[in-house]
Amino acid sequence: MFDLAWKNIQRRRVQSLVTVAITLVTVMVFVMVLGVLQVMNNGLELSKQRLGADAVLIPKYAPTQSEELLFTASPENIYMSEDVLKEAMALEGVSALTPQFYAQTLALGCCEPGEEARIIGFDTETDFILAPFLGEETIKAMGPEDIILGSSMDSDIVGYKYMILGEQLFAAHQMEPTGTGMDSTIFMDIDTCRALCLSSDVLREDWQKKDPYEQISVIMVRFEEGVDPEAFVKQVEDSGMDARCVLTSETITSLQTQLETMMKVIFALWAASMVIAVMALFGRFNSLAKERKKEIGLLRALGLKKGQVFTLVLAECGIMAVAGGVIGSVIAVLSMGYVIDMLKDAFMLSPSVWNASLALICGGSGVLLAVAIGFVSAVGPALRSAALDPQVAITQGEV
Amino acid sequence: MEICKLEHIRKDYHMGELVTPLKDVDLTLDPGDFLAIEGPSGIGKSTLLYVMGTLLKNDGGSIIIEGEDVSTLSDDEKADLRATKIGFIFQDSNLVQALTLKENLEFARKIGKADGKDLRNVDELLERFGLSDRANFFPHQLSGGQRRRAVAARSLIHSPSLILADEPTNDLDEHWSNEMISIFKEEAARGAAVVMVTHNSERSRQANRRMRLENGVLVEI
Repeated sequence: MFDLAWKNIQRRRVQSLVTVAITLVTVMVFVMVLGVLQVMNNGLELSKQRLGADAVLIPKYAPTQSEELLFTASPENIYMSEDVLKEAMALEGVSALTPQFYAQTLALGCCEPGEEARIIGFDTETDFILAPFLGEETIKAMGPEDIILGSSMDSDIVGYKYMILGEQLFAAHQMEPTGTGMDSTIFMDIDTCRALCLSSDVLREDWQKKDPYEQISVIMVRFEEGVDPEAFVKQVEDSGMDARCVLTSETITSLQTQLETMMKVIFALWAASMVIAVMALFGRFNSLAKERKKEIGLLRALGLKKGQVFTLVLAECGIMAVAGGVIGSVIAVLSMGYVIDMLKDAFMLSPSVWNASLALICGGSGVLLAVAIGFVSAVGPALRSAALDPQVAITQGEV
Repeated sequence: MEICKLEHIRKDYHMGELVTPLKDVDLTLDPGDFLAIEGPSGIGKSTLLYVMGTLLKNDGGSIIIEGEDVSTLSDDEKADLRATKIGFIFQDSNLVQALTLKENLEFARKIGKADGKDLRNVDELLERFGLSDRANFFPHQLSGGQRRRAVAARSLIHSPSLILADEPTNDLDEHWSNEMISIFKEEAARGAAVVMVTHNSERSRQANRRMRLENGVLVEI
């Protein structure tokens, strides 16, 4: 039966290609939407889990949007006095604090680790952001010349010395992918980073009036258990310190809500297009069954049972739908890397990594969707074909 | 035992008005019968073949094929009966368009059930009907006569006991018309019953029984 179904598909090549194309496009869009949603959502979840901080204290009048600060690879040059760190230590409900110092994002040149990176100096003594990834001992053992590369940076340079802003530094470690802005960041000791600001021809000009050793960019805060985040924000506001508090969970939740709303709209549009696709396929399969009324009558006359005719029509439609689904899924899965790169450029969000298991889940869902679309649109025509009166089908009612 | 027995068969069509091409048809076919049914176009000859072949339900009377009362059979059982015991040669030379000539026969062989008999060899049948050199042609690449012969070859693949042929010599030249009649005679000789519907009296005379359909009843000629 499948042999005949396959030969029918081959013989009606143009019609079959149109049918496959309808399913292909529908499934491809579905897999891409699903993939993007997964990647963005996972990215936010990863950020939530891996950021390590419950809140970030940033300079009070910094123009930086909190989302940008948390997720992008290009933070503004924002600084506040290191005194804020002492004030923050006095805040209630703080379990841990660690300062970071941002040097500006740089387009790095030849023989340097990647094309563009932000540079973050961190305090190896108090850090709780990188330690979970590399181990507290590794972090504490870092020398002033050691640097840690983000996962998206060139791994070939690990274990070698490289020039960064005119200084020779040693690429001691590389992070695993985190799905956050950390992936395209170079981390180094906070004082090494400050020193770079003074020694670098590029950065020195910005630091003529301020001493980088007295400045920090942000303070990562970890709460004690049971702390009310909103109360902590109020405490920071009331303290009069030169900083404001950004809650990471709040930011992520807000972004998740925005993302979900956007995705709902995209899904609604996709659902509408799927209804059109099902109708188009139903029309295709219906006219296929009508065109072959005589042939189906002949098969019944030869001894094919109703169930076999049903299977034949369903198999034919199913093969085309599944073929479209598989091709659509494969194209979508292969294009996702490109789509994610575009999203990285277009949004402030940092998507998570598009990996094999996500590809398998999204691609598999696409194939399942194709089977469902194929079945829904083919079952009616298949039932009608099976119910055809063989004599009427053959003679079209002539006496 | 008779191969096919029709008793008081009636068939009505409701086409705006009631049309009854078969009013009271009685017929008994024994092994070895080669019956020609004559009658003008539109009189109901094809309808009679479809009723005998279980493709069309009769509105009255009974049909018994090799001892089985067709009216008691389910749809699937009728399909089995057609696959086992009945061979059709349709007026329209219907073939599955997506399959080559050989594949058409092989497909019919796959569906066909020989009921204890051997299914026939596809190549031998193609040879018998002069179609060996067209085995890999698709139906649209064949002439009307070749398609007609192909349909006839297909109808014999499962050695049916009842062969129903609707105008089987249409589109055929003199040589192949005679060959077709010879093949029917061979089939009758092996014990099958052949019913050939035709409006060609000359061909009809080559059968060993002749009847005419008149006013919804069959009369011996």
